[in-house]
Amino acid sequence: MTAPRHLQHTLLILLCIILSAIILTPFLMMLVNSFKDVRESALFKLSPPANPTLENYITVLSKPYFWRGLRNSLIITTFATIFVNLFASMSAFIIQRKEGKLGKVLYFALFAGIIVPISIIPTIQLMMQTKIHNTYLGIILFYVAINLPFSVFLLAGFMKTVPREIDEAAVIEGCSYPRLFMLLIIPLLRTPIVTSTIVTVTAIWNDFTAPFYLISDSKKWPIVISVYNFVSQYYTNWGTVFAFMMMVILPVLVVYALLQKHIIASLTTGAVKG
Amino acid sequence: MTISSQRSRYPNWFLLPTILVFGFLFVIPTLTSFYYSLTDWNINRRVITFIGFDNFIELFSDIKFRATLGNTLTYAFSVTFTRNFLGLLLAILLNIATLRGKNLFRTIIFLPYVIAPVVIGYLFTAIYNPSQGILNQSLRTIGLAFLAKDWLNDPNIALFSTIMTDVWRTTGFSMVIYLAGLQAIPQELYESAAIDGANGVRRLAHITLPLLAPSITINVVLALIGTMKVFVMILVLTNGGPGYATEVMNTYIMSTFSLGLYGSGTAANIILSLLIITIGLPVLLLLRRREVEL
Repeated sequence: MTAPRHLQHTLLILLCIILSAIILTPFLMMLVNSFKDVRESALFKLSPPANPTLENYITVLSKPYFWRGLRNSLIITTFATIFVNLFASMSAFIIQRKEGKLGKVLYFALFAGIIVPISIIPTIQLMMQTKIHNTYLGIILFYVAINLPFSVFLLAGFMKTVPREIDEAAVIEGCSYPRLFMLLIIPLLRTPIVTSTIVTVTAIWNDFTAPFYLISDSKKWPIVISVYNFVSQYYTNWGTVFAFMMMVILPVLVVYALLQKHIIASLTTGAVKG
Repeated sequence: MTISSQRSRYPNWFLLPTILVFGFLFVIPTLTSFYYSLTDWNINRRVITFIGFDNFIELFSDIKFRATLGNTLTYAFSVTFTRNFLGLLLAILLNIATLRGKNLFRTIIFLPYVIAPVVIGYLFTAIYNPSQGILNQSLRTIGLAFLAKDWLNDPNIALFSTIMTDVWRTTGFSMVIYLAGLQAIPQELYESAAIDGANGVRRLAHITLPLLAPSITINVVLALIGTMKVFVMILVLTNGGPGYATEVMNTYIMSTFSLGLYGSGTAANIILSLLIITIGLPVLLLLRRREVEL
């Protein structure tokens, strides 16, 4: 490498470091200030705490609604994701294999579901009439409905690469379609199911709109709504607010650090592969 | 056994769960919304009466709603343009083969995209704090005190501040899509262009940008669709204020809902849908065409 090229490379690295700092500084500010008391944290300084305290974390971890929020998010995300994957795999299997009329109509309707935003007020009305507003069941079904389209497309696209001969051989051997689906197709769909899981979990875990409108009972709020309510109560104590937000993003940060390659690939898969 | 009889054996009931759930919680509310938007449905009324297009006429004659439409479009187009411009530059930067640590940089720049927007919103209310926030503090430190503003309470710049927050959050996403597009361009094209004596700018204009066209389309349309639906970021940062300087469609719908004006809120929702469909339709067609090629 010649001298000017070397210099150029150093400058580019420097540029990358500055850009990374622009992204990381807000998180760093949140982290250091979460260990400061009320007065010091209100200054939002990046300097390490003068008198490091765990007070904020103790406050947050002693709040029952922090744990409840975490538990509710887990329940809602887990069940919704399982049903999205199961229903989407079943539909993708039939839509791609059968190429029947019903499948085509469904495929088109799901297409609309990717672009058209939900009509929230009629949705609330419908859920109230059917008594599933303000229930886990209601919000889980809602998430299944709005996350199905993407997963069906992803899985139907992948189904094309699974040879039909597998189905034919199994059926000739006397295997029923449900057995064929469970024992042969699902294992072969492993890769897109992982992608669909990452996309669905991220979307639901971070979603604010659905619980904001569909859950009014504070005992059923997911963590994202707990944050919203916590901040409106503790607005004057930024240290505690930052500690709460740190606790909320911590699981996400850990998973992201471990699986960043898969997560980035999954979340952009719709755009990259069409 | 013929192919078609074989195909017809696949059981249609496998489609049932999707049809039921999607039909119940997406199709029905979407279809009924057309009816509700033409009624005077509100919290005080037991009987809903049909009033034609009155809700729409009323919305468009409301100065606040017109400002909301304008804000939503300004927000959507500004975020889309900025995050794509920056995302493309970053992708070109991180696509340099010899650059060390580019995976780490990519991971860092994508990070805000996986964090809940509500947390990012609150984080930026702290950053934008006029007296102590790190934005104004750093501007003062580097001698640019005149640029220090009351970012979220000054009606002239509040919308700009929310736009920049979303750019910060989503540029990494656009960047990754562009990176994938760049990596799909055959290296030989650049090599032969270099032999022909094409400089960097010409290579960018004649090879990179044309071959990146599909990535640009997808990226722009995804960004437009996503940003027109913005809700929680605005709710947390400004709640539509000051006045209605940052009011967007989804915060407007929320306020009509809390006032109990359900018919009017549903009409506003339909206007948002139409706006998004007009812009989302090209993608639909594009995706369809791609599918034909597969």
